[in-house]
Amino acid sequence: MTKNVISEPAKPQEAESSELAPAALARNAGVVVATGLSAAGCGGGGSGGGGGGPSNGVAIPTQPAAPAVTDDSEAARFLVQASFGPTDEEITNVARNGYDAWLAEQYSHPVTHQTDRTSGRASEERIEAWWYGAIQGPDQLRQRVAFALSQIFVVSEVDLSGQERNVGLASYYDMLAEGAFGTYRDLLKQVTLHPIMGEYLSMVRNEKPDAARNIRPDENYAREVMQLFSIGLVELALDGSVRNAGQGGIPTYTQENIEGLAHVFTGWNYAGSPSWRSSHRNYIDPMEPNEDFHDTATKIIVGGVTIPDGGTAEVDLDLALEALERHPNVAPFMSEQLIKRLVTSNPTRAYVQRVAQIWLSDERGVRGNLASVTRAILLDPEAREGHRTGGTSFGKLREPLLRQTALWRAMGARSASGRYPFSRPERDFAQAPLRAPSVFNFYRPDFQQPGDLSTAQLDSPEFAILTESVIVATTNRLYTNVFSNHSDASNRGADTVLLQLEPAKAFAADPTALVGYLDRILMAGQMSAVMRTSLVNYLIPISDADGGTDRVLEALYLIVSSPEFALQR
Amino acid sequence: MTDLQTSRREFLRQCACVAGGVGFASTFGSFQLASAAVGPGDSFNDYRALVCVFLFGGNDSFNMFVPTGTAAYQAYADARQNLAVPTSSLLGVTPLGQSEPYGFHSDCAPLHRMFNSGQLAVVSNVGTLLAPTTRAQYQARSVPLPPRLFSHNDQQALWQTLQANSQVKNGWAGRVADRFSQVIPSAQQQFATNISLSGTNLFQTGASSSPYGVSSGGVPVLRGLRASNTREAARRAVFEGLLTDANLASRHPFLREFSQVQRRARDQAETIGTALDALTPLTTTFPSSRLGDQLQMVSRLIAIRSTLNVRRQIFFVGMGGFDTHGDQARRQPQLLGDLSQALEAFNLATTELGLNDQIVTFTNSDFGRTLTSNGDGSDHGWGGHALVMGGSVVGQRLYGTFPSLEIGGPDDTRGGRLIPTTSADQYGATIARWFGMADADLNAAFPNLSNFTTRNLGFMTP
Repeated sequence: MTKNVISEPAKPQEAESSELAPAALARNAGVVVATGLSAAGCGGGGSGGGGGGPSNGVAIPTQPAAPAVTDDSEAARFLVQASFGPTDEEITNVARNGYDAWLAEQYSHPVTHQTDRTSGRASEERIEAWWYGAIQGPDQLRQRVAFALSQIFVVSEVDLSGQERNVGLASYYDMLAEGAFGTYRDLLKQVTLHPIMGEYLSMVRNEKPDAARNIRPDENYAREVMQLFSIGLVELALDGSVRNAGQGGIPTYTQENIEGLAHVFTGWNYAGSPSWRSSHRNYIDPMEPNEDFHDTATKIIVGGVTIPDGGTAEVDLDLALEALERHPNVAPFMSEQLIKRLVTSNPTRAYVQRVAQIWLSDERGVRGNLASVTRAILLDPEAREGHRTGGTSFGKLREPLLRQTALWRAMGARSASGRYPFSRPERDFAQAPLRAPSVFNFYRPDFQQPGDLSTAQLDSPEFAILTESVIVATTNRLYTNVFSNHSDASNRGADTVLLQLEPAKAFAADPTALVGYLDRILMAGQMSAVMRTSLVNYLIPISDADGGTDRVLEALYLIVSSPEFALQR
Repeated sequence: MTDLQTSRREFLRQCACVAGGVGFASTFGSFQLASAAVGPGDSFNDYRALVCVFLFGGNDSFNMFVPTGTAAYQAYADARQNLAVPTSSLLGVTPLGQSEPYGFHSDCAPLHRMFNSGQLAVVSNVGTLLAPTTRAQYQARSVPLPPRLFSHNDQQALWQTLQANSQVKNGWAGRVADRFSQVIPSAQQQFATNISLSGTNLFQTGASSSPYGVSSGGVPVLRGLRASNTREAARRAVFEGLLTDANLASRHPFLREFSQVQRRARDQAETIGTALDALTPLTTTFPSSRLGDQLQMVSRLIAIRSTLNVRRQIFFVGMGGFDTHGDQARRQPQLLGDLSQALEAFNLATTELGLNDQIVTFTNSDFGRTLTSNGDGSDHGWGGHALVMGGSVVGQRLYGTFPSLEIGGPDDTRGGRLIPTTSADQYGATIARWFGMADADLNAAFPNLSNFTTRNLGFMTP
C-alpha cells in the first residue's frame, strides 16, 4: 500500500520524567529547544558526576533536513533499523508523520529503566526487564541504541558472578540508555566510573605503584578503554579507512601509553567505602576517589598528552578522558561501529565519513552528540536507499535476538502476567544482554565469515555466532514461539508470551493478502516474488475453517526461519 | 630477511589460489608439489585426532608450573611477591633428563599424576614469535616482532593463524585440513576435519574449509520438518525451497551464506544426532564444568568416528576466565582445578576408547602473564608454559628453554613480560608432524617456522 505523506504537524509529547520535552515541534523545521546540551559538549565543564542520575534533555537535531517517507515499506525499513521491530501502529506513525517527527517523539519518551523491574537480585529479572523494554518500551530508539552501546562498552555477567551484581548490571544498562542521546564525553565518564565496569575491567581499587611490593597499576581498563571504547588500535582517516594499511597500520598507542593511563586510573573505590580494603560494596553509584591510593606523578598518555603531577584522581581522570575523546580516531571508530549495529555491515567509506563529520560537529557545534549521530546514521541516503543503490554489499544479518523481538513486536506478543520469562536467551540465540563471553562482545565488527564472504572481503559480524548448532537452536525456538505460544493455543499459563493472532487472521481467508500483510510488518515489503509464490501456494490447500489460525502460524514460521527474513537490508 | 620473505611469498601464493567454490574437498593449488611426499601418518588408515584447548584471557602459567630449586624459586618469589605460590603447596616433579626440580600448582594434582605417568609434558615459555628474539633485539626492534603484542584478540588470532600480516586470515588447523583434503582419499574422510565446540574460530578456518560447529549439548535436529508427517513434509518442502540456491544465487551473498549454514546444519544434524543417540555412554565421568562438558562431547564425537567415516580430526574447545587482572589468589585455583580435572577426564576417556596413543591434546593461550603483580593480579605478558597430553606424547619431560624469572633478567622485556624462548610455530609444527603433515608441507602451514632452527621440539613419539 502506498501512502502519501500527510502534511500536519506532530503533536508535542508530554514529558513524564525529568527529561525536558521540546516546547513545540514542526516537522523538518530548524526550530527546536536547546536544553543546555551544547555547554556540556564543548569541552569545558562536563555534566560531571557519574552514572545513574537523570539525563539532560535532548537537543533535537533537524539538520540536514530529513527525506520524506514515501510509503509503508520505507517506514517499516526505517523501523527495522531504529527499533526492535516494526508494528502496525509505528509503521503508520512514521508513514504519516515522517522521520523527524518520529525521532522527536522518541527523544521525548521517558527512559524505560531495567532497575524499575529488578527489585530482587536475580539475574533472571534483569533479562526479563530487557525483553519488556525491547518489546513494549515506547522509547524504542533509545533502547535500540542502548543495546548497540552495550555491545561496544561491554561488561558481562559471564565474568561477574553473584546475585548482588545483577542490580548493578541493570543499572549499568540503564546508564547506557540514559546516555544514549547525550554526549559521548559524558557517556565515557559514566562508563568509566560505573562500579560494574570497575569490577569487570579491574579498575576498582586499582592502586598507585608500590615498588617494595613489586606492584604496578592494573592495566586492564587502560588498555580496553583505548582499544575498544574510544580510539581502536590503528590510526584512521575520517572515513574509517586505516592509514598506511599496506604496512600494517599506524598504532594509536604504545605499551608505555597504556602504563601511563593505568597510573591515571588509580585510587577509585566503591562509593561509600569506609576504607580502601573494606568489604563494603556498592554496585550502582559511581566509584569515588581515595587520594591516598591515587598516583600523583606526571603521566604521559596517548597522543603525547601529559597529565601534570599533583592532580587528584578526578582531575587526572577528566584530563585523560578528554584526551581520548578529542582523538581524531573517535569519530570514525565509533560511528562505524554504530552503523554496523543498526544499518549495514559494510558501509561505504563515504557513509562513515558523513556520519563521522556529524560526530565531530553537529548543527550546534557539539562534538559527539549521540542523538545527532544516530539521526545521521538513520537518515543518511545509504541507510534509506541502500537496498536500491547499495548493491549486494549493503545490508546485515539480523542479530538473533532481534529476529525474536521482531516477531514478538509485530504480533503484539504479551503474557497475561506481563512477564517475559525467557531469561536464558543465550541458549537458543547465542546472545543475551550483558552476557557476552568477553569484553570483545559476541562478535568482532570486522569478522568475515570464512568462504565466499571472506573472499569478497565482506565484514559479517553476526555470522560469527551462527554456527550449525546455534542456527538449529534458534530456528527451533522460533518454531516453539510460533506454533505453541499464541492466542489461540489452549492451556497456556499466565506467564507464557503469546503471539496475538487476530490482526493477521483478518487476512487469512486470502493467502495472498495474508502473506502481503506479514511481508509488510515483518519484512518491510521486501519479500521476493519467488518466496511469496511459494508461501501462497503452500497456504492455499490449508483449510481456514479454524478462522485462519493454521494459515497464520504456518506463514509466520516459514517467514521467520527464512534466509530473507534473516537478512536486513 | 630472505627466509621471511620467502615464506611470505609462499603464503601469498596460497591465498591467491583460493577458488570460487567452497567445499570440504575442493582442490588447493600450492600444496600440489608435495602430493607424493606425505608424513608419518601417511597411510591414513589409522585414526588420529588433535584437541586444541584454548585458554582465553591469558593463562598465568608461571604459577601453574614453578621451579622449586632454591635459587630458581627465590627468583620466582622475588618477582611475583604476593602472587607467588608457596613451596609447601606445590606438587613436586623431577622432569626426566633435567637436573632441576619443579612443581605443579596445588590445584593441578591431575596434571601432576599424568606428568609422572608419562602422559603429560610441559613446553616452557612458548609464545608468538616471528623470528628468534633476544632482549637486545626486542629493545632495538632489530627483528620483526609480532604485531599488537599484549592485546587479547590480536594475540589469540596470532596463536591461531600464525600470520603476522595478511589480508586473508586462516588458521593452521584450517591449513592442515586443506592439505589433508588433497592427500586423504575422500572415501576415508567424509566429514569435516575440523569440529569446533567453541564457536567459529580462526584456528580452524582454512582457505577452502571451515569448522563444523557443535555445542557441548549435542546436535539438535530441526523441529517440525519430519518426512513421516504429511503436514510437516509439505512444510519441509517449502522450508527447503527457501534455502535452495535457485532462489538466492543472484541475490545477496549473506542470503547464500545463511542458507548454506542452515543446510549444513540440517544435513549434519541428522547424521550426527542419530549416531550420538545410538551411542553407548562412556563410563568415564567428566567434571560438570564448561570445559568438562565440551571435552565430554569431543569424546562422544570421537566414539562415532566410524559413522562419520573420518581418519583425521581436529577439535577446538575453549575455556575462559584466565584474564586474572584482579583477585588472582581466589580465581586461579578454580581455573587451574577445572582445567586439570577436565584434561584428566578426557585422557581417561581416550583410554576407554582404546585411542590413548592416537589422540593428542594441547593448550594454547593468548599469552602468559606478567611475573609482577598489580596488587592483586597479573597483567598481559607474552611467553608462557603450555601442556601437551596423550599416549603418544613423550611425557614426564620439560621441553623448550626454561626462562629466567628474574625481573630485568635476560628474558624480561619489562615488568616481567617474558620473551618466549620457543615459538608457537615450532610448537604447532611438532604436533602437526605427528598428525601426518609432511615436513615439506610444514612451512606453508606454519609461516614463521623456517626462521627457526629447530623444526621439531621432540615431544611427540616419531
